[in-house]
Amino acid sequence: MNEYIVTINDIKKNVKVISQEKIEIDGREIEVSFQKISPHSITFKYENKVYEVAINKNGKESIRFLVDGWYYDAIARTKLQESAIELQKNISKEKHHTEVKAPMPGLILKIKKKIGDRVELGEPILILEAMKMENDIHSPASGIVKSINFQEGQSVEKNSTIIVIE
Amino acid sequence: MIKKILIANRGEIAHRIIKACRELNITSVAIYSDADKNSLHVRRADEAYLIGNSPANESYLNKEKIINLAKKIGADAIHPGYGFLSENSEFIKMVEDTGIIFIGPSSKSVKLMGGKTDARTLMKKNNVPIVPGTTEPIKNIVDAKKIAKEIGYPIILKAAAGGGGKGMRKIFSEDEFENSYNLAKSEAKKFFSNDEIYIEKFIEHPKHIEVQILGDKHGNYVHLFERECSIQRRHQKVIEEAPSISVDELTRKKITETAIQAAKACNYYNAGTIELLMDENKNFYFLEMNTRLQVEHPVTEMITGIDIVKEQIRIAEGKPLSFSQDEIKIFGHAIECRIYAEDIDNNFAPSTGKINLHRLTSGPGIRIDRGIDVMSDVPIYYDPMLAKVIAWGINREEAIVRMKRALSEYQICGVTTNISLFKWILNQNEFEDGTFDINFLENKFLPLVPNKWRNSDSEELINVVAAIAAIMKNESQDFLSSKNSLGKSSWRDQIYE
Repeated sequence: MNEYIVTINDIKKNVKVISQEKIEIDGREIEVSFQKISPHSITFKYENKVYEVAINKNGKESIRFLVDGWYYDAIARTKLQESAIELQKNISKEKHHTEVKAPMPGLILKIKKKIGDRVELGEPILILEAMKMENDIHSPASGIVKSINFQEGQSVEKNSTIIVIE
Repeated sequence: MIKKILIANRGEIAHRIIKACRELNITSVAIYSDADKNSLHVRRADEAYLIGNSPANESYLNKEKIINLAKKIGADAIHPGYGFLSENSEFIKMVEDTGIIFIGPSSKSVKLMGGKTDARTLMKKNNVPIVPGTTEPIKNIVDAKKIAKEIGYPIILKAAAGGGGKGMRKIFSEDEFENSYNLAKSEAKKFFSNDEIYIEKFIEHPKHIEVQILGDKHGNYVHLFERECSIQRRHQKVIEEAPSISVDELTRKKITETAIQAAKACNYYNAGTIELLMDENKNFYFLEMNTRLQVEHPVTEMITGIDIVKEQIRIAEGKPLSFSQDEIKIFGHAIECRIYAEDIDNNFAPSTGKINLHRLTSGPGIRIDRGIDVMSDVPIYYDPMLAKVIAWGINREEAIVRMKRALSEYQICGVTTNISLFKWILNQNEFEDGTFDINFLENKFLPLVPNKWRNSDSEELINVVAAIAAIMKNESQDFLSSKNSLGKSSWRDQIYE
């Protein structure tokens, strides 16, 4: 029997996988079955209710589910993995810098600050062009610009750290 | 008679035009950029030609290349779709000069209506009501601020050559003016090669109502009633419907007459749309004319039975309209949801990738116009609209329940979409009773982003997802522990391909 912690947005669920047909969730035993339809879709029976679910990888651990028109991002970890992650989170909380990340892939049109400049929370600090729109990116924190990792005219991937504020 | 049409577009609209060509026994020709070699429109056309590199200005916006190709392959007409070169009067003039038929209005009409300030002047002259504002582009910022003050904030800045929400900024007070003006100007310059900006009064609680018209080359005009497109974000329409729940018979009569008046004022032929703002007292103002086929044309097709694209082709061939005004009636109600590749809770970031699952929804009253299929790439270069789900019902209630049913059945993987947004909108009271205006999403939805709008998340679905995630994790753990055995590869790892 294997026990997992599943994180969906901010909700955590304890799930024990007893067998292919039986799980325990919130202390309740549930009969389940799944039928794989394609590498990205299944039909899932939860007790006797039927769900059609689309499934796709979304980042390193996270999986994105689409069921009944709603998206859910879920991460399943063993108990050991879960406590390791919690520990890491506490360490990073002690660092006092904020990263300005690209919320979408795009082209950096303008960076309005230089290293050493003071920025205020909410101040527009760069313009990112994506899919025909110019987007003002606002500073997520007040502080001093510590480093700038890209130049104007460069393309960035989603989640690239463009500026670090300390 | 047109025998071969080059479709100077991509995505769902190219696919839509291909279908019309096939029904009329016309050869359809797709053009595509590097990034689009796996696109659905390329797979569905009778012929397909690589036109250039991925950026639009090297492919779908390259006038010379497109016209030279049309000449070389013996296309006798070009259909521009919407966006790209569809409202570029210079391009249309070039097409006209080569003797190839442009499936759309004349370059003269497009030029008259394309400059927004010119269009406002023309409409004013022809007794079409316009929104208070300037009919001339802004010359200097000091004067502009003075005018804005006279009209009264809030105001809106618009690109004279613009459309689709680009080069557009709403301003609430004078201190925002300069920054917004500069942003609007630079966007306008980039997207329309024209940085002229004009000012309009911002009308509170307006609805976006538009009228579809058709005109032939013999001076006959008809309207196909109105569409309501008030559900928008950043001036991009998200949901459209026909008819509008807010337009009564008297208003319908007034706005359709006005629309035909506007079309006549620029000697218009082919399909066009008069966009109007309507306030709470059902006063309406001319916004602009879209001198092309619209994204949301299917809702009109659903309630009138008219195939607008086929009608466009007939008009381009010089044939008279195939029906008269009194033959057209509104039958039922239609709604369209635009499926965009975007991640709502991540600041609406565009989502790119390869589609690896696409299960269409179908059944009574459902139509899907789409630009993607399995193995299609969703590249960063173009508009993120993937498909349109259109639901028809005998009345609005039935159209809404059909839409909800269809969206629940839609499955897509490879990119994240806005499907859940529609689940939210369609359940709001304001949507049901029709009291929403064009600021609805901004006022009611955006404050709930990220994640707070997902109230309708049920405990039940969370448990289902948690169960599946745990079972998949369990499989991959089993697989890791038996790595050296000859076990079949885990299902989770296949998904990770």
